[in-house]
Parts: sequence; C-alpha cells; structure tokens
Amino acid sequence: MTMGHTARADIESLLRARKLDVTLTSAVPWTRTLHDPAPAGIGAIDAALGGGLPRGQLSEIVGPRSSGRTLVCHRVLASAAERGEAVALIDASDRFDPASAAAAGVDLTKLLWVRDTGDAARALKALNLVLQAGGFGIVVLDVADIPSPALRRFPHTTWMRIARVIEGSQTVALLVGGGRTGRSPAGVTIALDAAPGASRGRWSGPSDRARLLAGIDITPRVIGSQLPIPNAQLPRTLDFGV
Amino acid sequence: MHIPSYDELTPPIPDISARETFAGVAGLWPASPAERARAAEAGGGPVAPAYACLRSTRSVQTAVAIARDFSPRIERHGAASVVLDVSGLGRLVGDGHAIAAELERAAGAAGGIRIAVAPSQTAARLLAIARFGPSVVTTNVAAAVADLPIAALRQLLEESCQHPSAPLSTRQHPSAPFIEVFARWGLKRLGEMAALPPADLSERMGQEGLALQRLARGADSAPLVPDPGVPRFLQSMELEWPIDALEPLSFVLARLLDPLSLALERADRGAAAIRLDLRLVDRTTHARLLQLPAAMRDARVLRTLLLLDLESHPPPAGIDIVTIEVDPAPARIVQYSLLERALPSHESLATLTARLGALVGERRRGSPVLADSECPDGFELEAFNPNRSAGARRSRGPFDSAAFRPRSGQVVLRRFRPPIAVRVIVERGRPVHVAIDRRGMPGGRVEQAAGPWRTSGAWWTHGDGRWDRDEWDVALCDESLCRLFRDRITERWFMDGILD
Repeated sequence: MTMGHTARADIESLLRARKLDVTLTSAVPWTRTLHDPAPAGIGAIDAALGGGLPRGQLSEIVGPRSSGRTLVCHRVLASAAERGEAVALIDASDRFDPASAAAAGVDLTKLLWVRDTGDAARALKALNLVLQAGGFGIVVLDVADIPSPALRRFPHTTWMRIARVIEGSQTVALLVGGGRTGRSPAGVTIALDAAPGASRGRWSGPSDRARLLAGIDITPRVIGSQLPIPNAQLPRTLDFGV
Repeated sequence: MHIPSYDELTPPIPDISARETFAGVAGLWPASPAERARAAEAGGGPVAPAYACLRSTRSVQTAVAIARDFSPRIERHGAASVVLDVSGLGRLVGDGHAIAAELERAAGAAGGIRIAVAPSQTAARLLAIARFGPSVVTTNVAAAVADLPIAALRQLLEESCQHPSAPLSTRQHPSAPFIEVFARWGLKRLGEMAALPPADLSERMGQEGLALQRLARGADSAPLVPDPGVPRFLQSMELEWPIDALEPLSFVLARLLDPLSLALERADRGAAAIRLDLRLVDRTTHARLLQLPAAMRDARVLRTLLLLDLESHPPPAGIDIVTIEVDPAPARIVQYSLLERALPSHESLATLTARLGALVGERRRGSPVLADSECPDGFELEAFNPNRSAGARRSRGPFDSAAFRPRSGQVVLRRFRPPIAVRVIVERGRPVHVAIDRRGMPGGRVEQAAGPWRTSGAWWTHGDGRWDRDEWDVALCDESLCRLFRDRITERWFMDGILD
C-alpha cells in the first residue's frame, strides 16, 4: 500500500462524505486494494484477516456471554483511537463501562458514546446517523443484549442498506452481538466460540481467599469470503490475562 | 415722494452662522472639538473637555472595552493607549472632573489604567503617559503640559508609529531624532520647547521642528479617526401570517441565514453562538441560544441546528416575528493533511450531535470522562471533540479507578444500569449460588469466586451518592463470568454486570 494510494483514498472518502463523489472522474471500480484494513489490535486475528478489518464494510463480532466479544471490541476501538481515528459506539443496551474501556486502552477523547435504553430500532437510526456523518474510523453497534427475536424483526435489507452507506468509505461498521446478524459480502465475522464445558475465566491463586480472576481465554474463528482462509480457526486460544 | 426700497423696509440680516447663533443665545450647540482645542490652546477661559485618554499598562483590550462603553468614537494609539471622544458627555455626565471620575470608576476593577481628560488628543495622551493619577485639563492645554518631560513626547511619537496589533514594533517616528536635538540643547520640559521662537526653530529644523513644537503645546496634528465598531450580525423578518409549524419556518430561517452567512464570510467571521428570538402571537418571546462547538457559518448547518433545537423545544404558539442574531468569532483556518486521517468536521459533528440528542436525549450522547472518584460507574459525558487531545481534558485527579483495580486481568465489564437485584446463597462467607428472577440472565451454582473487595465512599453525604459494598468476581455453572456485590448498607446482593 503506497502513500499515494492512501492519499487518494482519503481524498475520495472526503468527497463522498461531502456528497461530492459525482466529481470523481475515475471510472475505476472500487477495489479493496485501495483501502488499508483497520487492524484489530490482536495479532492473531489481524493475521487471519490479512491485516485487519476491511474498511467500507460491515463486519461483526459474535459470541455468547462472557466469550470476550466486548474485550475484542474494545481492542479494536483502542487500536483505531491509537491511530488517531475517531470512533463511535452505539450502545443499544447501555452496557458500556468507561473504566473498563480506559483500562483496555481506549482513548475516551476519541470515542463518541451513544447510550440507548434497549430500543434496537432507535439504535439503528443512531448508527445510520453516525455513518452518514462520515469521518469515523470504527463505528460499533452493540446489540449483544438485545433479544434475538427483536433483531430478527429487521429485514435483511436493513443491514444491506447500512453496508451501502459506508461502501467506499474509510469506515468500518462493526456489529457486536450474541449470534450472527448481518454483514456485507466483503465483511468478516469474528466468532468467539468456546469448547462446551470449558471455563473461559483464567483464575489464579492457591486458595479461595487468594483467588484472582487473572484473565479470560477466548477462541476466535474468522469467517469471510475474501479472506486468505475463508473459515479460519485460529490455531491457539488467545489469552488476555495479566 | 420717497418710496422706500426693499432694503430699507427689511431689517439687516447679521452675517453669522446658525451654529454661532445657537451657541451664543442658548448654549445648546457646543463648539466642535477642534474649535475648543484651538480656544484652549489660545489660552482662553474654561473649555469643556473633548477627549479622554485611557492608557493601560496590562491589557489594552480592557481599556478599549471601557472606552467603547463611553463613546462610539475611539482611536487606538500603539499597544497601550486609547483616545475617546467625550465631547457629547458634558450634559450626560458633567464636567471634565465628573467624566474622569466615571472613567476611573469603570476602570477601578481592571486596575493599571491611567486616565487623562483634556480639550485635545495630544494633551490627553501626554498627560496619560507622564502622570499616574487622573488628570483633567479644562483651561490652557499648553500650560497644562508645560512641565511634562520631553521623554513623554518621544513616547507619544513612538506609539504613533506602532500598529495596535503589533505592540513590539520598533519602527521609529520620522521626527524622533529631533527630540534628541532638543535634549542636546538642554531642554527638559515641553514648556521650554513651546517657548522657542517659531521663526528660529523653523530656520534650524524646518517644518518638523514646528510640528513638534505644536505637539509640545498640546495641539493636535490630526483629527481623531474612529476605529470601526464591532458589526452586529442580525436579521429579522416580520411575517404576514403566523407560522405554527417547523417546515414553513425552515424556509424563513433559510432566508435569514443566507445573508447572515454571507455577511460573516465577508467579515471573515464565524458564528460562535446563534440567538433565535421568536415573537409569538400571544405577545411572548420564545428565545433559544445555541452555543456552537466551533465558529461556523454554513447556512445549511446553522438552519439544521436551529430546526433540531426547535424540535426539542417547540414554541408554544404561532410565530409572528423571527429574529436571528449571531455572535461573531474569528473564522477558523483549516488545513487538511493528506498524510493524516481525516476527522469529522466541526460542522458535521455539530449536526450529528444535535440529531443524536433529538433521537436519544441530550444527556445520552457524548464522550465519557472518568470521574475523580472510586465510585462505581463514576463518569460524566462531555461534548464529543476528537480534535482535542487527551491531555487537554481536565485532570482526573489522584484517583484512577481504571488503574487502581489490580484484582482482575484484562476483562471488560458490561455494566447493568441500575444493578440487578439477585438472591445469593452464602456459605462460609463465600457466594455459592446465584438466583435471578429475570429470564435470560445468568444464574446457578458458583464454580469459582474471587473476593471480596470492599469499597466505600461518600459516607459524609448521607445521601444517594453514598456507597459501601463488597464485590465478587464469580464464574457460574452456565459459563458466565459475573461481578456481584453485597450492599453493606442495605445488606442486599446485586449483579453489577457481566465480565466479557
């Protein structure tokens, strides 16, 4: 990825953000090679993704409760904020904990936090507003605590429209949920699974009184149609302990 | 028979002007400042003051603000002096002493401001340079400045060369070298300069010497050239029929904002705040004030912000008169970089936050700031501004709740707001079973538990902010990791959140 390509991508993104993309004279179709991916900040996942999350695409992080999906999301936000990008979190159930995010390395000055009270439709409207405003590196919609029936009520075209809004831009839209909800064709899914019966928490301490929750073990699987390995089971369990 | 001519029948008309007539008969038309200065220079009787000089040793902006409160005609000289025309204040305030007293009272809070009132600008400036206390001259200005040192005249000339915005200018006045000549002649006071024979002075120094002598007598070399005042950016429209919906109002706002935006652009200004006054049919005024995050003048953005604000705060009745006033601020100069990531512009951010505020609530969007406290879930929301660096934020103080939490590794809490009440079975001081009444929430046998960690605070408030609790991190049999706490005030158990 040369600097010239980066500059060209930035200019075209700015023109699109200002609704001036009709002034683009190049008839070259948009290709992923013009975009640098957004690193997730986790080496193994970035390697499996071929560099990071694809920009201009809707991707998702899915997993059951306590699987580490919020931790991975915070790593993505922290990595983007570290690069100087503005990030946004549409928190559909008001679950975000600023202290945990700061401990995970998220620069809170770069974070726009929108707190909803469990209304998924309103959270989607907020997501649409943020994406249309443009200029954000990562925009996360956290619907992990929204019941699945409420999410299934949205037609599949809802997610296609969201993907269309950011198509060609430098923004990564990211869904965080309990199960697979929707992603754009060139987007990726990071599934955080766990072996049945295995404990995700990593505990330390020789006795009950000295016990500590030292970390959490996650087992990610990366799914995407345009990846080097379309359905990559990462070779090892990632440890996020101290 | 002698027939009288027309001239014989009509009385002679005196050859005087109306100004002299009114001034002589009723004293209602005061003489111009220049005329009074000439009279004072000639050594006549008491003359009403025409000019005042404020000289600030700290900030000339304060002196300018005070001067503008007294007169619209002010002129700045250098980086320290402001001269204002007080010729119209005689009937309103009083004589020169009263004007000086009023100026001193206004400058009292600011401090460090010298005041002089005199019939001429030069005399006022010389007195403000050379004397500390308030100086008032009402008679002969030449006598009033006669005992001032020549150095005061040199200072006056230097300030005349300085541009107000360039206080460090070192440019020298063309007549300044002649001051040194006067000093070499042994002259120390302005009165000694004024007493020199003009013909001999002209023979040795030419017109420059005579001009300096006029200044030494307190005479003005040029009239006061007022600084342009701060323009007011205001547009108003009286409607033929009352408007009671936002959609037609948007067209009115567009008609008002377009010329305002154009005027701001011509003045190289942006809007720091917009004040919208809606005169309603019930004779009340619905006023809204929008503080903008940065100076902006895009009419579409301003209209959108006003409409979004009116959606949240609609007027209670139909609208008769729409008035928009903009508080101007220096325009921003934005330089984009091809090598840095583009951040959202101030205009798009202002519109976005306004739309989000209308959608989810004013207090439910922004950038979180950790509170300077160990209180659980202690944070505030500030306006989102990614262009501001992290160091620009206010300090979080000595406590860092994120860092001061050594008991767990990098796990993230998904916090319940408010915490959910649970039933916990405790054996030998440790939780062994968690039951919760809500469907879909974690519960069951406790597989692992770490704790308790006791925190308390705000006990001095005896109010809602007080907390005292024992926290536990537990792993349940359904593979959930949770944070529980026992409220030691109410002796009840709660689930604080899910560790994820």
